[in-house]
Amino acid sequence: MSHVDPDRLAELVLAPDDSPSDVRRHVESCSECAVTLAALSDVRRLVGEESLVPAPAGVRDRVMAQARTRPPPADDVVRPLASTVPAASRRGPRIPVWAAGLAAAVALVAGLGIGRVTVPEPAAPEPEDPGSVVAAADLTALDSDADRGVARAVSVDDMVTLRVSARELGDEDGFHEVWLINVDGTRMVALGVLADWDTGEFQVPRGLIEEGYRIVDISVEPEDGDPTHSGVSLARGELA
Amino acid sequence: MSTVAFPTLPSRRYGGAVVTGMSEVEEEQDDGVRSLAARLVAGDETALEQVYDRWSALVHTYALRALRDAGDAEEATQQVFVAAWRSRHTLVPSPHALPAWLIGIARHKVSDVRLARSRDADRAAAVAAQPEAHAVVEAADEEVADRLVVRQAVEELPDPRRTIVFLAFWEGLSHAEIADTVGLPLGTVKSHVRRGLVTLHQQLEGVRRESR
Ligand SMILES: [Zn+2]
Repeated sequence: MSHVDPDRLAELVLAPDDSPSDVRRHVESCSECAVTLAALSDVRRLVGEESLVPAPAGVRDRVMAQARTRPPPADDVVRPLASTVPAASRRGPRIPVWAAGLAAAVALVAGLGIGRVTVPEPAAPEPEDPGSVVAAADLTALDSDADRGVARAVSVDDMVTLRVSARELGDEDGFHEVWLINVDGTRMVALGVLADWDTGEFQVPRGLIEEGYRIVDISVEPEDGDPTHSGVSLARGELA
Repeated sequence: MSTVAFPTLPSRRYGGAVVTGMSEVEEEQDDGVRSLAARLVAGDETALEQVYDRWSALVHTYALRALRDAGDAEEATQQVFVAAWRSRHTLVPSPHALPAWLIGIARHKVSDVRLARSRDADRAAAVAAQPEAHAVVEAADEEVADRLVVRQAVEELPDPRRTIVFLAFWEGLSHAEIADTVGLPLGTVKSHVRRGLVTLHQQLEGVRRESR
């Protein structure tokens, strides 16, 4: 017997008593049709509850007005948290097309160098590196004061480099990503991934820290292509 | 809070044969979405208006369910469509790509808002201490998105199937009651409900595929 028409499978979901027994028998012995049947049952479970709630009047006009104005200039690197999307370059091919475009569109960090991981050193940053420490943060766990390492902002020539040397971040699946959160609690920027799990260096535009981006945050990010903060922070500390 | 009123039943009675298989109307709709996406990518502002008119309720309802705050949902909705416009060049025009793409952007906005809220140190600590709670939230979001995609797909069914499917699944009418209401034979009503379920499944699968 060839496969059962989806229409007949829908009938089996909706009115099993009306369904001919040969359909039932086929599904019991055919995994392909069983999968379709399960999917249709799933849709049947999903229907009937939600209704669509229209967006309030006025949103449409505001969207169109914003669409007609040019996006902010590229040097407006720091955007409100609600529209922050980290640079596409961080995730490479894992980013779905739309997410990469989103990142490109809001142009958060493109062209300024933040968000790019500098080539990771094979070992932890060497203490005799040139430059002076301008700020440092003791990193701790969020739910206790457990030590999670340190982050230092080092000034070299015209750039500030954030050197992160974390520890005991746990072994949860995913990768570790470093963020700077503004002390106003509403904005953040992604610096990049801790390429070797707990240490890394990130260039930060001069002035960013002075603007209030002082809270160093390390998150664990599932490899799901979602470039936003996972909401799961492993360590934090404030640069002072 | 108001909900979208389902269109009142047309006074005329339906006739004609029940279409089986993928209807021409559905194929035309797919072409319509594809060309709408293409116009959006090309920078046509009227395409953005049409995209907004068609999917803003979907995006807004998703944000409302996920954020449970009317003001945040309104703000997120606005940001989703502005972000969609500014990143339009990345959209690959395919029938299901547009809603999948909009929901993807909405997910980002929702997680941004949640993160902003979690700056409350106690809540952040709670999240950090309970990664599984985070996973539960995500799974609930997925389910809401699926339900809304299905609800939207009903809107896009050609009538009388749209009305019949709505009455069957959302109003809970029996097939006989629907037959009385719309003035069609019982067998025709059953056929529309079956085909409707299959189409909703296809739409949902299409959007899920594009979301990956
Ligand atoms: Zn089969």
